[in-house]
Amino acid sequence: AVWLSLAPEHTRDKTGNLVLGNLVQSLLDMGFSHTQRSPNVLRMSVKQLKDRGEHLRQLGLSEGHLKHVVSRCPPIFTLPGKKIDATVRLFKEKCLFTTDQVMEILRSCPNVLLKEPSDLEYKFQYAFFRMGVKHKDVVKSGFFRAPFTVIRSRHVFLERRGLYQTPDKKGQTQVINAKLKEIIWLSDKDFLAQLACASLEEYDVFKKLLAREEEEEEEEKRTDSED
Amino acid sequence: EKWATTLPRVPATQQALQLFDMNYGMQFGPLWPSARVSLLSEPKYGALVNSFSRVHDVVHDLQDLRAADFVYAAQNGPAGGQGPAPLSPNIQCYTFPKGDISRFPPARPDTVGILGYYLMDAASLLPVLALNVQPGHLVLDLCAAPGGKTLALLQTGCCRHLTAKDISVSRIKRLHGILHSYLPKAARNNVSVSVEDGRNWEQVERDVFDRVLVDVPCTTDRHSVMEHDNNLFTRVRKKEREQLPMLQMQLLVAGILAAKPGGEVVYSTCTLSQLQNEYIVESAIKVAETQFSIGVHVEDLSCFRRLFQDTFSFYAECRVGELVLPHLTANFGPTYFCKLRRAQ
Ligand SMILES: C[S@@+](CC[C@H](N)C(=O)[O-])C[C@H]1O[C@@H](n2cnc3c(N)ncnc32)[C@H](O)[C@@H]1O
Repeated sequence: AVWLSLAPEHTRDKTGNLVLGNLVQSLLDMGFSHTQRSPNVLRMSVKQLKDRGEHLRQLGLSEGHLKHVVSRCPPIFTLPGKKIDATVRLFKEKCLFTTDQVMEILRSCPNVLLKEPSDLEYKFQYAFFRMGVKHKDVVKSGFFRAPFTVIRSRHVFLERRGLYQTPDKKGQTQVINAKLKEIIWLSDKDFLAQLACASLEEYDVFKKLLAREEEEEEEEKRTDSED
Repeated sequence: EKWATTLPRVPATQQALQLFDMNYGMQFGPLWPSARVSLLSEPKYGALVNSFSRVHDVVHDLQDLRAADFVYAAQNGPAGGQGPAPLSPNIQCYTFPKGDISRFPPARPDTVGILGYYLMDAASLLPVLALNVQPGHLVLDLCAAPGGKTLALLQTGCCRHLTAKDISVSRIKRLHGILHSYLPKAARNNVSVSVEDGRNWEQVERDVFDRVLVDVPCTTDRHSVMEHDNNLFTRVRKKEREQLPMLQMQLLVAGILAAKPGGEVVYSTCTLSQLQNEYIVESAIKVAETQFSIGVHVEDLSCFRRLFQDTFSFYAECRVGELVLPHLTANFGPTYFCKLRRAQ
């Protein structure tokens, strides 16, 4: 568990009102406490906490969402505002998501804020260019919550089996591609039975081979850039 | 050719895949996706032990890697217990078990400069094993270069003489290179290598060989979907591609003519294509009968499927001959092989 370290005298003003209003109350409701015994203490001043709450609220996270964020990944409250803005800018300017879509991403997957922007960009580009998935489906599928290695190995597996194709310029394919949501969220067993029509042994070997391919490509890039 | 630049440019590998999807999708149905992903992923190798090197040390090293001799295992395992199989003897080839993706390090030269093993697709040893070479045989390898199977034929220690031919000068050079790296001088005495068109049956001695291997040029499926260099599916090579079946049939007929009555011929390819496999065998048999009055029997090799099931994934539905389908857990092949016996 992660504990929120707030000295009691900081949470209320002189008149006894909660300074952070609903936010602190909801933190307390969720079992965050004022104790400082825990090693995983979230150290912030009241002002910082207040600013961060305000910042996130401006990005469209309501009280309920904030509560959700705090319970899922409390470290978000310790992020510098600059970092949060950089991620939001990346989504809007580089990935061309609408304001509403960015909000939706932050609500369903707040820990994108903790990720390296360049990793997020790479991941998005993979879905958009390599898999040909539209913005709205990227958002709807909860894509940013899924580990990239899983997405990639499932996609490449389907592709090499002839069951997935990158759409051409007109958006057309020779085969009917599975939905991103299914590719990501089915269990291995259901993915293999319903989408890939393959055995677990095949997929296990494939994952090992793909990992080695990747490793060796990286290695090649490194030595190329050294030359 | 100005118009050519305006045509959409599909890379040759992509072109090959599209054609395979159409043909093999129909031919193999639900088995095609498994073969497809295998062709597009890293293949497995086998280490053919060079009996002219310090075998003991080589075998020791290979066993240290946890590889095992699949030929020995097949003959001595539960599937092999039905009497001696009709295989060419003395061939040892180490492979890693199903599902294991380990690799062999490159072979090292021993103290006299001879290499300890030759890395090759282990499935391409099956045609050599099927040829059932026996002591004292005269053997012809009609499309021999670069020489992996030639080397395997010599490992049997059975060839009274081995004649190796190939039409390509540059590939024959590679064959010479392999023979030099693997055989001491004395072991090369009973081998003759020449650049020749195998279809020229006026040149090839007729009715003399006990065993003939006809390992024809084909669409080399694995190469065609993976490599841009020397790809048969470029537009400029369309004609050559379309003429392959004819060339294959002519070579097989030439091989049949070169065999002596009662002699055996193995036809092999590394493609999944029925048109280049079963059809060629069937039409060559007809041509041998109608044009040359030579009777030819197809020999049953279904025992191979049972013997080697632990190492390879076989396709059970060929009308004639046997086919190794690439499978991720055993990513060898494709290899097609069919054995023919010339009537007495
Ligand atoms: C599949 S490769 C043979 C591989 C070889 N048996 C080995 O195991 O290393 C086919 C060979 O047939 C040769 N070839 C093509 N046309 C030929 C012809 N008309 N006569 C003889 N060889 C021919 C090619 O040069 C090529 O080396």
